[in-house]
Amino acid sequence: MEAEREQELIDRFTLATFMEAARLYEEGVASPQAIDIAMRAGAGLPAGPLAWADQTGLDVVYQKLADLESRFGARFAPPASLSARVEHGQLGIKSGAGYFNY
Amino acid sequence: MYVKKVAVIGAGTMGADIAYTVAMANIPVVLRDVDEKALERAKSHIQKLLDGRVAKGRLSGPDAAQRMSRIVFSADASALKDVSVAIEAVPEKMALKQKVFQELDRLLPPLAILATNTSALSVTEMASVTSRPTRVAGMHFFYPAHMMKLVEIIAGEQTDKDVLDTLSRLSEEIRKIPVAVKECPGFVVNRVLTASMAEVMRFKVEYGYSAEEIDQTIVKHHVAPLGPFVLADALGLDIAWDVAETLQAAYGDRFDPGPELPALVAAHHLGVKTGQGFYPYSRS
Repeated sequence: MEAEREQELIDRFTLATFMEAARLYEEGVASPQAIDIAMRAGAGLPAGPLAWADQTGLDVVYQKLADLESRFGARFAPPASLSARVEHGQLGIKSGAGYFNY
Repeated sequence: MYVKKVAVIGAGTMGADIAYTVAMANIPVVLRDVDEKALERAKSHIQKLLDGRVAKGRLSGPDAAQRMSRIVFSADASALKDVSVAIEAVPEKMALKQKVFQELDRLLPPLAILATNTSALSVTEMASVTSRPTRVAGMHFFYPAHMMKLVEIIAGEQTDKDVLDTLSRLSEEIRKIPVAVKECPGFVVNRVLTASMAEVMRFKVEYGYSAEEIDQTIVKHHVAPLGPFVLADALGLDIAWDVAETLQAAYGDRFDPGPELPALVAAHHLGVKTGQGFYPYSRS
């Protein structure tokens, strides 16, 4: 697989995972902790999707989603919980707060 | 609430694995099925699991016999009368589950908890046919239930908090990890997994890569333990398609896996269990 396609695959996989986790959080289906524990214990993911976003940097996640949205449409539109955190400078681990506090 | 005795309703593989898990924690458990043959199969399945523990040196022979003695295999409804928590694990048909819930409601003590292991159906709809909707909840185990650590504890519209707390504690007592989830199609794990699976299946069709190439790339980047195609084949493509259709109807086209999955299902290529899915499997 060419490097560019490989990156696209990984981005689409990880961000589709993150998007659905963010929707569950915004809908109040489960807490951020519960969502991340479920995906680690129930699906074997190495990191919970919300902790992954905090680790990656929410500004970086936002930019990746904006790019994917322009190519693939609304299913990648940055979720409200992400936009609000980026606006407030809560960018994840590097700023001390994101979906979780550090 | 103190859980004195558990019942598992439905002696398929899932029901047998749950009963085994409960018995391993030394909690008395009734495994009930109307089909005596299913009960026999469940008993030999559980015996194999216990023998495996003994062979690995994880359990002594007498302890294995003692765990087995914790399980009552019963086709008789009267075995259920002093049960504190019943976990329903019958096939995923609402009418069947409602029939089971009506019977449990009639037989079990008034404060007993009625839990469903459904992965897709509405807890609230099952609760609605009982006289105790506040004491009905979901307790969603993952396959294989004796190995997978997660249990999603699902609140229906009217479920009491103490019911959810009791089911969480019971989950921990049987060495599982409970997470609290509100009712919605797919709950947490199947919803997130199916969303990413559908995205990767569309990627495959758009660019024409092989399942193997995609799975290997995902595993190489350490973003998941297995690629989505290996996982779907193991789960059963009929089940994967069924879940994707349900979630697409509930949430929209982000759950549309594209044309390949339904085509494989139509050709009865259902994955590991039929010897062919996204990958071929040797049946020897």
